[in-house]
Amino acid sequence: MAFAPFETFAKEVIPPVPPRYFNDYAGVVSAATVAELNSRLEDFEKKTSSQIVVAIYSKMESDSSIDDYTVRVAQAWKVGQKEKRNGAILFMFIADRKMFLQVGYGLEGAIPDATAKQITEFEIKPRVRNGDYDGGLRAGVNAILQAAQGEYKGTGRTVAQRVQARRGNNVGAIFVVLIFILIIASMSRRKRGRRGGRMYRSSGWGTGGGWGGWGGGWTGGGGSWGGGGGSSGGGSFSSGGGDFGGGGAGSSW
Amino acid sequence: MKKVVLVVLAGLVAAVVVLGLMLVSTYNGFVGSAQEVDKQWAQVETVYQRRADLIPNLVKTVEGAANFEKSALLEVTQARAAVGQTQINSGQAPTAPEQLEKFQKAQDNLSSALSRLLVVVERYPDLKANSGFLQLQAQLEGTENRISVERNRFNEVVQKYNTRVQRFPGVLLAGLFHFQPRPYFKAAAGSETAPKVEFNFGNQKAAPAK
Repeated sequence: MAFAPFETFAKEVIPPVPPRYFNDYAGVVSAATVAELNSRLEDFEKKTSSQIVVAIYSKMESDSSIDDYTVRVAQAWKVGQKEKRNGAILFMFIADRKMFLQVGYGLEGAIPDATAKQITEFEIKPRVRNGDYDGGLRAGVNAILQAAQGEYKGTGRTVAQRVQARRGNNVGAIFVVLIFILIIASMSRRKRGRRGGRMYRSSGWGTGGGWGGWGGGWTGGGGSWGGGGGSSGGGSFSSGGGDFGGGGAGSSW
Repeated sequence: MKKVVLVVLAGLVAAVVVLGLMLVSTYNGFVGSAQEVDKQWAQVETVYQRRADLIPNLVKTVEGAANFEKSALLEVTQARAAVGQTQINSGQAPTAPEQLEKFQKAQDNLSSALSRLLVVVERYPDLKANSGFLQLQAQLEGTENRISVERNRFNEVVQKYNTRVQRFPGVLLAGLFHFQPRPYFKAAAGSETAPKVEFNFGNQKAAPAK
């Protein structure tokens, strides 16, 4: 492994933050298991605030080693709460027959490397090797949750829900401001009457710039609000700002 | 005439104030950046210490195996002792390149001694099946990962700091206040061929010994 400061990774893709807790991009796990594990992981964040994410890809898009690559992905995703840094991500690459459990700084005590190895090597690997992805991932998620349990206390809400609520509040606040501006505008129009028509128009343009800004913000808020509403039924995921330092372990099968 | 003098004076005062503000913000930038470097250095030291702390346990476990080759063990113990002698004034990142070079050399020696030991272990099936040893292996492997992560991050923050300190006009100020460029971890000579600490947990394909 080289430590050159200007190291570049020619063929490497850092995938975007996944939208859910359990993400099977390779399509190897049954829909029922995906749904069940996703909601269990969501509940786990509500109860403990720890964010556990599973991401299954068909191929690893990097020339680097899996531990090196996945720690960079994990650091980019920032899974876990910001203060507690309590995130963990199970990466699987089906075609490469490799997996790695990246453990955030805050969970290194609950899931030391030996435990992580235990999970990938003895819980997941034997099942996955026989083609039983559902069983392997169920056992793996079980073991991870068991290990991480009791380390932190949750607030009953996920980051995704908080983000959504904040957006909702923003939309509400923007509505209030909008109505306020409308009232002021109509009052000033009444005051100036017809004589100030031209003047009003020009000053109207002036505030028009501000309006455009508000309008943009509002559409943005509305759009993401809709998005939040659409996925609120099925455990959508937002990362809280966690940190990873290479803790965890992996196996190949 | 008087007016012109006043205007020029006001301009000068304004220029001095602006320059002063720039100076302060550049200086503060240096200080913040240097602190980042030291903070990351502490992380590097922590992970190396973590590895050093694992070694007595490893030695004890391996020693227990029936007639284990002592030479590989001795090498690890010696390399660890050498690492202990290259401790850098704690809490501060090295400023002299030779200092970091020495530190890195000792640590890299320990890395290769460890990987040689683990190659030897491959010949002892009893040991490989020992659950205590398996745990130690996982911990060692994780520590190597952490070392690589923290070292890379250290190089990143040093790079940021060095850019700040060496770029014009910061370089003038850096010289004035003795903010010297800091050394990086270098890819060790022949690091491409250096044995990477790689572990095998009964992977049939790669471990014919099993």
